[in-house]
Amino acid sequence: MSILIERPPPHGGRLEERVVHDPELGRKLIKGCPTFDIKATLDDSGTPVRNVYREIMSICYGFFSPVDGSMHKAEVDRILKERRLLNDWVFPYPLVFDISEEDLKNLGVGVGDRVCLKLKGKPFAILDIDEIWRIDNPEEFATKVFGTPEANPEVVQEPFDKKMPGWVIYKSLNRVVLAGKFRIINEPTLLPPFDKFWFPPVKSRQEYDRRGWRTVINHQTRNVPHIGHEFLMKDAGYTGDMEPCHGIQVNAIIGVKRPGDYPDEAIIEGHAAVNEGGYIKPERHIVTFTLWDMRYGNPLESMLHGIIRQNMGCTHHMFGRDHAAVGEYYEMFATQTLWSKGIPSYGFPASINDVPYGLQIRPQNMKEFWYCPVCNEIAYSECCGHTKEKQKFSGSFVRGMVAEGLFPPKVIFRPEVYKVIVKWWKEFGYPFCNAKYVKEKEKRLEVDLPDM
Amino acid sequence: MAKSIAVLLDDKRIGAVKGSDLEGKIEQMFGGQLSCFIVEMDDAKAKQVMDAFDTARVDSRGFITDVPIAFNRVIFEEIARTKSLGAEAVDGVLARVDEIQKAAAKEKEFLPCPEF
Ligand SMILES: [Zn+2]
Repeated sequence: MSILIERPPPHGGRLEERVVHDPELGRKLIKGCPTFDIKATLDDSGTPVRNVYREIMSICYGFFSPVDGSMHKAEVDRILKERRLLNDWVFPYPLVFDISEEDLKNLGVGVGDRVCLKLKGKPFAILDIDEIWRIDNPEEFATKVFGTPEANPEVVQEPFDKKMPGWVIYKSLNRVVLAGKFRIINEPTLLPPFDKFWFPPVKSRQEYDRRGWRTVINHQTRNVPHIGHEFLMKDAGYTGDMEPCHGIQVNAIIGVKRPGDYPDEAIIEGHAAVNEGGYIKPERHIVTFTLWDMRYGNPLESMLHGIIRQNMGCTHHMFGRDHAAVGEYYEMFATQTLWSKGIPSYGFPASINDVPYGLQIRPQNMKEFWYCPVCNEIAYSECCGHTKEKQKFSGSFVRGMVAEGLFPPKVIFRPEVYKVIVKWWKEFGYPFCNAKYVKEKEKRLEVDLPDM
Repeated sequence: MAKSIAVLLDDKRIGAVKGSDLEGKIEQMFGGQLSCFIVEMDDAKAKQVMDAFDTARVDSRGFITDVPIAFNRVIFEEIARTKSLGAEAVDGVLARVDEIQKAAAKEKEFLPCPEF
């Protein structure tokens, strides 16, 4: 018997790579096609909540393999029923290219046509339409995507509503879906500070090889790391096989966030500051990101996280309580339930590692870290017995201290990490995401496109 | 159950209460790396605070959190003025709710960046 854990294959068996690198070929592919300018999805107040360009990037660069385009109606129906693609592989969310009836009329396209999708005024991708279908009622659709307390009693505690960003995204979709495969025909340039951290699955697997990493544990983040996060990463990193995991990967989700979250620029550079400061040395640690407007779907989001990181080549994935959660919609340990025993109402009578066409990345379900003045260290809740004396790293406590402009003690933030928060605070006039930041970000996005 | 608020203290705030009785009431958090005052109030006063600020919530330890930044500034001023960590300080804050709400409205767009 071998106890060594090997890198898992991509979800679905092979990585999607749907990017044309030759500009000449790109020009040929869009010759004569109608063009469409990609628009942000807006909520009722006109605030951007999603930009489909992020999904096109994540599909075409293989993060979401084996998904290769905007989904057909039958595929979406199957996902809503049993969270599987038509080829049987598990997948949590419908991904669709949606437009309004008016835009469809102006475009004048039908099945069999190719559309050139433009971003920032320049050609970006093509969509080969092989079905046009309609979302009858976006609000009902949004509810079906996440579930209800009645239909999913194991994990859903409260009905989803307008305070749930993912529900708002699906509710705000246009009704017409152009389904078909995407291809990026004009390769975008990632903008700083994101460019250094761009490791699509093919490249991340090469990078692990270059570093000699067989086992890699992923940390999901939408946060600037405080010391509690750092110890979670370090301690979860002891998981592995006969050795602790060779690599600790941070994969940040970059896209529209909730007010009160940190700006994406601070998140990614904050994590980099952990390795630049030597707290987890760069040889063991890699900071990366995925473009995605977070749905905050707790167990469903964790499934997507597993898919992304398995595609990147990770062997393990950390999951805490309230993983990718907002509010009290989901039960606190819903994600850990999905990975330990499954959630039958979502279509998984067993862990999604143990169902056919499931995931191979291994979950590392973690409890919490706190500061213990008796142990005099950052302690793991399942080790430290000083539950009365413990001091938790509550997110709102830490955010409050930051907002007041107090320099946090080293036991809360590494000074290098805090300086990153201040750097972007100066730039945006605000330490957290607010409506102004979200609107500015929507104009700038994370990429530029070359002239064609 | 009575509710509490932790008022964090940096060197400047500690300097402002130096020599007073308050100095002996400074509490230490995170192994002495962070100082604070704990202000306590009864449920009736806590309800007034919760009603005045819609972001405020009570955490699992009975601490009121997520109040505006201006609230934290004003409560420190009232502690320093009244030399109290009890009802007098909270009353001082409640008398200044309008002022705090005005300042809080601006906090959604702008917070001054600290210089170090
Ligand atoms: Zn302890």
